[in-house]
Amino acid sequence: MKAKKPVLELRRVTKSYPGALALDAVNFTVWESEIVGLIGENGAGKSTLMKILIGLIQPDAGQYELRGNPVTLRDPANAARHGVGMVFQEGSLVPNLSIMENLFLSHEIGFRRFGFLSRRAMRETATSVLSLVKVTSDLDTPIADTTPAVRQMVEIARLMWLSRLYRQENPVLILDEPTTVLTEGERKTLFTILTEIKRQASIILISHRLQEIVGNSDRIVILKDGRNVTEFEAEHANIAEIENRMVGHTFAAERYRENEQIEPMNEIALEVRNLSKRGVFEPITFSLRKGEIVSLVGLVGSGKEAVCGCITGLEKPDSGTISLHRKKLALGSPSETVRAGIGHIPIDRRSEGLALGMTVADNVNLLVLDKLKAAGLINPPLEKKNALRMIEECRIKTPSFSAICANLSGGNQQKTVIAKWLSSKIQLLVLDHPTRGVDVGAKEEIYRLIRNLARDGISMIIMCDTLEEDIGLCNRMLVMKDGRLVSEMSCSLARKPNPSDIIALIV
Amino acid sequence: MAEIKEEEGPSITEKRITTHRKRERIPAIYFAITLLVVMVVLFTIGNRNFLSAYNVNTITSYSAILLVVGLGQMSTILIGGIDLSVGGLMSFVSVVLVIALKTIGAWAFPLCLSVGLMAGYINGTILTRIKIPSFIATLGTGGILTSLALLVSPLPVVVPASSYGLLDIVNGTLIGMPNLLLLTLVIFIFFYVILGFTTAGRNIYYTGSNIKMSWMSGIDIRRTRNFAFMLSGLGAAIAAMMQTCSQFGGDPTMGKVYILQSIAAVVVGGTALTGGTGGAVNTLIGALILGVMENGMNVVGVDAYFQQSILGIVIIVSVALTFDRSKTAMIK
Repeated sequence: MKAKKPVLELRRVTKSYPGALALDAVNFTVWESEIVGLIGENGAGKSTLMKILIGLIQPDAGQYELRGNPVTLRDPANAARHGVGMVFQEGSLVPNLSIMENLFLSHEIGFRRFGFLSRRAMRETATSVLSLVKVTSDLDTPIADTTPAVRQMVEIARLMWLSRLYRQENPVLILDEPTTVLTEGERKTLFTILTEIKRQASIILISHRLQEIVGNSDRIVILKDGRNVTEFEAEHANIAEIENRMVGHTFAAERYRENEQIEPMNEIALEVRNLSKRGVFEPITFSLRKGEIVSLVGLVGSGKEAVCGCITGLEKPDSGTISLHRKKLALGSPSETVRAGIGHIPIDRRSEGLALGMTVADNVNLLVLDKLKAAGLINPPLEKKNALRMIEECRIKTPSFSAICANLSGGNQQKTVIAKWLSSKIQLLVLDHPTRGVDVGAKEEIYRLIRNLARDGISMIIMCDTLEEDIGLCNRMLVMKDGRLVSEMSCSLARKPNPSDIIALIV
Repeated sequence: MAEIKEEEGPSITEKRITTHRKRERIPAIYFAITLLVVMVVLFTIGNRNFLSAYNVNTITSYSAILLVVGLGQMSTILIGGIDLSVGGLMSFVSVVLVIALKTIGAWAFPLCLSVGLMAGYINGTILTRIKIPSFIATLGTGGILTSLALLVSPLPVVVPASSYGLLDIVNGTLIGMPNLLLLTLVIFIFFYVILGFTTAGRNIYYTGSNIKMSWMSGIDIRRTRNFAFMLSGLGAAIAAMMQTCSQFGGDPTMGKVYILQSIAAVVVGGTALTGGTGGAVNTLIGALILGVMENGMNVVGVDAYFQQSILGIVIIVSVALTFDRSKTAMIK
């Protein structure tokens, strides 16, 4: 290889959050004119690394160098000035403005003629910038009317143009899961364009699709648990090895309390029949036995989230039925499903699981207030009693039952959410990434609670952060891909499947 | 630029919360009580007659009305909304009460109560069905009610002599306590109990604190909102009746001052505008603070031109101390 210069260098960057070390002395280098693939499981630290790269968060320790000079990036706008930009998974364009307006948004100053913006000059520049990414749409089309592929290209073009505006040689573009929203044909186009752009820029590519990474990057960097695992030239990569490195070998048998795993009872608890939602998932049928833990796995966009949304009443399916203990549920209404005994541990506990400004007791008692009454009114001693019982049972570490939830650690907040559902009589619990962002100790506690729930005959549908966790916790696994149920496998204690077999089914 | 997707690991909000944790904030209610005590002391130093029986009576009767309308206002602020229609509603109820007293006598009181509840129900329904923010919805209904009040009676009307007997009872005393003050006490206890010790009241707090979580936990958001706005209508109607009775006359512009005064009483007492925290006791202190300030500044002879600005400063400072900035990234 030619002698290339590094454009961007992170040295021993560390970032910790209360109770969790997100990045532990990570080194990361991006060379001139290369595509570097960054892979790792959810929670491996990819997002934190990206946030540091674009100045959204500041590292606790370590050095950040651009083109050989140490820098401190205050925010994404500042990063753009240094020629580092990110194409967001959800897009950061303004939907009701046109392609051209979005392209130059908040940097129009260069087009000022006699105090007014010269639309003609803007048009010329826009056409030339967009030709780089092969976008030929009308410049005045509102972004809302364009396809995701065009939006992505406009974002890439914008970043390229900004770096030119600020005279930054060889900008660094970060693409976070760029292909999830694209069709097969659009994916090919994207990679053709990226290869072309590579001549004047470096690209960091993040994707769950390993083939894509191996096929299109020059170098691959693997993160695991916030640490560098390895990096190698893509030419020498093989997918099986990457999977191994990603998941790691340390598959401790006792980690998920497998010895406490029980055989579910024979009684059927939940029955889902021909449930479907147009354009999201095809008719799906499955059932859960009492005390059974079923893990739903699949990529983002496989439809697993929507299936869970339909079961919890947050989303309305187009067809099909859901019954709990032979009673059909009213669909699309959380208050009905909660009344029927279906609980839900949401993925984002701060915005969906807790009243953060209220006390632990208030949160724990939310569903059972009617049972904590004396003479028709809520009785504070009963409230306190129930709260203390649940705090004890779920081992929530809190200074008192009247502590404000916002002040608890992530793990204890999650335990509070679980306690809330536990204190009411639920029969089915949907756990959406129950251990996301909690530290190891709290994880243990959450696994323990899950096992206890199963023993009490509560059925559970789980979606976990890692495949290991899914395999370790569940009795049975349902694999979804592109809106379809593609496989079902037993995860009984005797024969837990191998993560790499499942990855093959998912991708 | 859009916020990065909070896909994995601890989120940005967490960072905000941890920095927030470092300086443990003093509960707003202590600040409010301290403010009240300091003001009473200052005004008493300024004029010894501040604590005279006559003056205390003036303060309490003003604070009482403000408290009753404020308690209703607080219910809507607790769910994260606001009720700007209390002013129009008070004006309307005021003139309707006087006119109705002429024709249906004592039945005028339940009539006015139902007008208040109905107005609140309509506000809540507009909010949930048409899905527009309460700020706008109640601005609109408030305007309608103000017009209705002027259509019923463009000028102030006096209570008919035939109703004097009835009003004398309302304005009378029981074991040395004015009936209106006792009524205020009853309403205070009513709100205190409803908000603190019933499921419907708690649901107001949950909804205000985190509406998405409340919905996902099966709380009927629509009903909770309607309930909060009906409480507000009830408070405004009773406050209007109290003032109308004590003045022996209805006024189609009476409510105007209470729109901002009621909001001020709520926030000065320490109920956060973001919803979810605060309560009846806070509003009691808030109403007293405003009553004491309004009266005290006159008693010690603060220049009338200055009074509004002092009031303004007090409001800004109290909201600054109670407002939960961690909840809102952008202030609009």
